[in-house]
Amino acid sequence: MFGPLQIAVDGIIRGVPVRLWLALVILAVGVLVAYGVMGVTSRLLDRIGVVETIEGTSFERTTNEFGTSTARIITQLSGAFTFLIAVFAAITVADLRFADLFWGGIAVFLPQLFIAIVILVAGVVIADKVELLVSERLRGIKLPEIGLIPLLAKYSVLFVAILIALSQIGVAVLALIVLLAAYALALIVFTALATHDLLASGTAGVYLLLNQPYSIGDEVKVGGQRGIVQEVDLFVTRIETDDEEHIIPNRTVLKDGIVRIQGR
Amino acid sequence: MTSLSDILADLVSDVDAVFLFSPNGSFYEQFDDIEDVVVIGAENTVEADTFVELPIPFADIQDRIKFGIEGAMDDDLVGDGDVVACIGSLFSDDADFASRVRVDETMRSGIYDLFTNSRADPAVISDVFEVALELGRKGQKGKPVGALFVVGDAGKVMNKSRPLSYNPFEKSHVHVGDPIVNVMLKEFSRLDGAFVISDSGKIVSAYRYLEPSAEGVDIPKGLGARHMAGGAITRDTNATSIVLSESDGLVRAFKGGQLILELDPEEY
Repeated sequence: MFGPLQIAVDGIIRGVPVRLWLALVILAVGVLVAYGVMGVTSRLLDRIGVVETIEGTSFERTTNEFGTSTARIITQLSGAFTFLIAVFAAITVADLRFADLFWGGIAVFLPQLFIAIVILVAGVVIADKVELLVSERLRGIKLPEIGLIPLLAKYSVLFVAILIALSQIGVAVLALIVLLAAYALALIVFTALATHDLLASGTAGVYLLLNQPYSIGDEVKVGGQRGIVQEVDLFVTRIETDDEEHIIPNRTVLKDGIVRIQGR
Repeated sequence: MTSLSDILADLVSDVDAVFLFSPNGSFYEQFDDIEDVVVIGAENTVEADTFVELPIPFADIQDRIKFGIEGAMDDDLVGDGDVVACIGSLFSDDADFASRVRVDETMRSGIYDLFTNSRADPAVISDVFEVALELGRKGQKGKPVGALFVVGDAGKVMNKSRPLSYNPFEKSHVHVGDPIVNVMLKEFSRLDGAFVISDSGKIVSAYRYLEPSAEGVDIPKGLGARHMAGGAITRDTNATSIVLSESDGLVRAFKGGQLILELDPEEY
């Protein structure tokens, strides 16, 4: 019994090329695979401890406010990406030539965009975590200006993440890289300048502690100061006379030399 | 039963300050409305504003209270003539005793001073105390041992002493409080002589024969040469001596040539 409707449906089915059916099947498989990838990703994130590590960072808290979480965002991203690949595969199979050029560009661009977004999210989370760690480390120091250092660390990490993300999607970042280099150089130069004395004393201190050319109780003369050695640590040597205690940086000890007085 | 609570009320009426000994968090919160609460304990777990740290958990409750009051006097929290209510735990972990103490200048026995105002770090002194107490408790292979630790002002102490043998701590960097050190000190205590420990806790030498002038040193009669040497060196230098007696097993601390503190290791 062939009704007119049946014939029409039959006609449509026959009219649609096999490629299109194949494309639809690929799309359906793509949806399933995407779900699978999402499940695997979320479990993987959980297993390698990402969820606990990023707990308490402000990015995580912000995402919580929007009723989601960093892990879920990553999971959804990976799902969407898998689905998009399926769409491309389907389109290729369906042989829709009219969009070849456009889709070709997108097919290259989208994975890059996906990686860029992941790098950005990871960058934000790492920056938050770095801020948290640094500020915890500095909590013992009661100084209002100390709050600047964790912020600086956070934005440094963020800057690098944005840089990598931008270069990933092909934006010209040369100027930003130059900026980063200048910033890093300034940081190194200033750190070297600021800790120059400490570093020099510290390396001298390592030598003094290892070889102990003089030890506690010796009477010595360093840089015109004569006294009894009371304490040698990494950075300074404490030398005491009857009513004065001289705290001499180890750098000076090594530079000027030390005179041991052999009284006994 | 009213008379019983009256007695308790009398104990705590018109006090100038309340001393809480190692209170737990919820117990401390009950004192939120009361001013002049001083917390005394090993650690400031309740984050109290006024806190006196106990360097060793004095077994004798009198020592504990005295130390707390001395510390509070030093920080100008209480003064001569003030009356203090002390609340702490004696048998259980909860607060189970209350005591009324009148603060008196004569209560300054120097115990607080011994820990906080010595040349060496307070942490170093309490570490040495712990070593000495453990040595006194366990002894060397079950037999009682004696030991003499001179803490702080190591340069001067070294100049007022001579080596009895090779110094096992030469060119080493061990500090009291390091985990291995207790064993090392226990082994080396078998030999005679003093341990010299620097202000920051570095063990400078063992086997030192102290040569201070013992003139005018006032230590109780009946104590031996070890105590005499330990007491005398603290008069000649700014060091603190912690002596474990071989004969009676007590740990004694000297400072400025005076016997400051006497502890029985068995109680810790």
